[in-house]
Amino acid sequence: MGRYIIRRLLQAIPLLFFMTIFMFALIHLLPGGPEQVLFNPRLSAAGRAALRAHFGLDDPVYIQYFKWLSRAFQGDFGFSFADNVPVSYLISQRFPATLELFCIALSLALVVALVLGVVSGVRQGTVTDYGLTVVSYFGIAMPTFLVGLFLQYIFGVWLHILPTSGTETLGYTLGPVDAFVDRFEHIILPVLTLATISIAGWSRYMRSSTIEVTKQDYMRTARAKGVAPVPLLIRHALRNAVIPLITVVAIDFGAVAGGATITEGVFAWPGMGSLFFSSLTVRDYPVLLAILMLGAFFVIMFNLIADILYAVMDPRIRYS
Amino acid sequence: MDISEQINATQQEEVEPFLELTAELVQKRRSQARIIFDRFMRNRTAVGGAVFLILLILFCFLGPTVTGHNDPNAVNVTNVSATLAGPSWKYPFGTDDVGRDQLARAMVGGQTSLLVGLTSMLMALIFGIGIGAFAGFYGGFVDNILMRFTDVALAIPFYLLLFVLSASFTDGTPKSVIILIAAVSWFYTARLVRGEFLALKEREYVLAARTIGARNWRIMFRHILPNAAGPIIVSATLLIGVNIITESVLSFFGFGIQPPVASWGSMIDTGQNLIDVQPLLVFIPGLLIFFTVLCINLVGDGFRDALDPYMTER
Repeated sequence: MGRYIIRRLLQAIPLLFFMTIFMFALIHLLPGGPEQVLFNPRLSAAGRAALRAHFGLDDPVYIQYFKWLSRAFQGDFGFSFADNVPVSYLISQRFPATLELFCIALSLALVVALVLGVVSGVRQGTVTDYGLTVVSYFGIAMPTFLVGLFLQYIFGVWLHILPTSGTETLGYTLGPVDAFVDRFEHIILPVLTLATISIAGWSRYMRSSTIEVTKQDYMRTARAKGVAPVPLLIRHALRNAVIPLITVVAIDFGAVAGGATITEGVFAWPGMGSLFFSSLTVRDYPVLLAILMLGAFFVIMFNLIADILYAVMDPRIRYS
Repeated sequence: MDISEQINATQQEEVEPFLELTAELVQKRRSQARIIFDRFMRNRTAVGGAVFLILLILFCFLGPTVTGHNDPNAVNVTNVSATLAGPSWKYPFGTDDVGRDQLARAMVGGQTSLLVGLTSMLMALIFGIGIGAFAGFYGGFVDNILMRFTDVALAIPFYLLLFVLSASFTDGTPKSVIILIAAVSWFYTARLVRGEFLALKEREYVLAARTIGARNWRIMFRHILPNAAGPIIVSATLLIGVNIITESVLSFFGFGIQPPVASWGSMIDTGQNLIDVQPLLVFIPGLLIFFTVLCINLVGDGFRDALDPYMTER
């Protein structure tokens, strides 16, 4: 087991290395460099050259790459072209909001998907099951931004009960309790948007793994011993049925990250996703590069965690 | 002439008293395609999806000529009070902020969205099959390169990669959006095809083909590919839906198809600022995307069940 984990960790290193090359090439070979967007068009040729030299844009791409890589190892992702502050500072400003959105949405999605999947699986072939199947089909066919827009319309424009963008009501000084309530009201719609997409797919997984587990021999044995239905479900069925779900959640991380980016864009949630969009419109390459690297890093990590969790939770699986 | 009629006819001509013609016997004479088709037709939800999908396609492509709502960019209403109108007999889907006919825009926008979804799928399919087949069949260096490349590409969150590429590579025309979507989706197909080829090249029929002297390309495309067709068709069908969503997301964030060309995504992009005045500007293209993707998914799942009855994932 320990050797397996170490081997998988070692495999992730070259992948991360290739990733840096791929992304650096991607960003730097793209047409439309930063100077076209950011530099003052009336800048003299000498001033332009000085700025290019300042940002190190005159070096060959591979020199730029190695400079970037050696600094990135020390946690220094350079300076933002647009704001002229360190990229790491920008990211540390935006990361907590994304983390907040992510954690709440993910927990909600997991719990709801688990419950719906188990209910659907246990009541296979009933009206409840068909109803949930139909709903999950609807959820899968719905793009994230549409869910967001529809929720904005229903709760914001039509019912007038929830705010549709940002993190707080501007122009008021609120007490700690009111501020918390205000923040909570602002996060409801983004969380619902992000969670809905995952719930649809994950509850399907949970349904099929529940069905599979309940067919097993040990379940019949437990039933024959006289284990009551609810403990049977929770203590015997759920423990095995949840394994595929957890790995799927970890593997889906990249998709959820994309969904979070879109959600933040729709709801003007000031996290990494909004930073990504604003950097993209001004071609702020150092920031984009850092966000892409961070995203890819987490995807690789979560894939690794999925593999390891799978091996830890299901001892029948042996890796040689 | 139907097969059963044909058999009945021959039976009447040459008297065969011992052969009792039962339903099972007739069934045995169906071709492979016919068997799959029949299995698909038994799946009521898939057939429903297919029917609705055909209706949607007819709506988008024949609708403009049949209904006469054929000019998406004409400013029909010059009176300001009649812009942003709700449904009326003259404009069943209402009008937008400059008085354009929303029904005409929905139909023409649908043509764009459907064509983008379909052609980008076809491009991704051609690329993916070509490279995946080569890598899976020959293995070795090409395979290694493909796998490392796709590992890297798949580790970047899909939408981030898409947006970064779109900011520089698309010029707002449907053509550039098609190429972009194909460029970021072909490696899914390539990995699927590679996996199929890797498994199928060990089968006996490949050895048999090789024994009678078939060349590699012939084995790849005449022997292995048809056997890998099932999963490829299923994923290709579902890819159309994914690509339609991708196009709408791109256009919604302003990186995809640019006005005045209408697509469902760009219609939502223009409509979102006016959602509190005229929600139909968002709801109509939004629901059209939703129903189209839903139908495509139902048809795709129908194909899955029809092509491989053992693959009961649902």
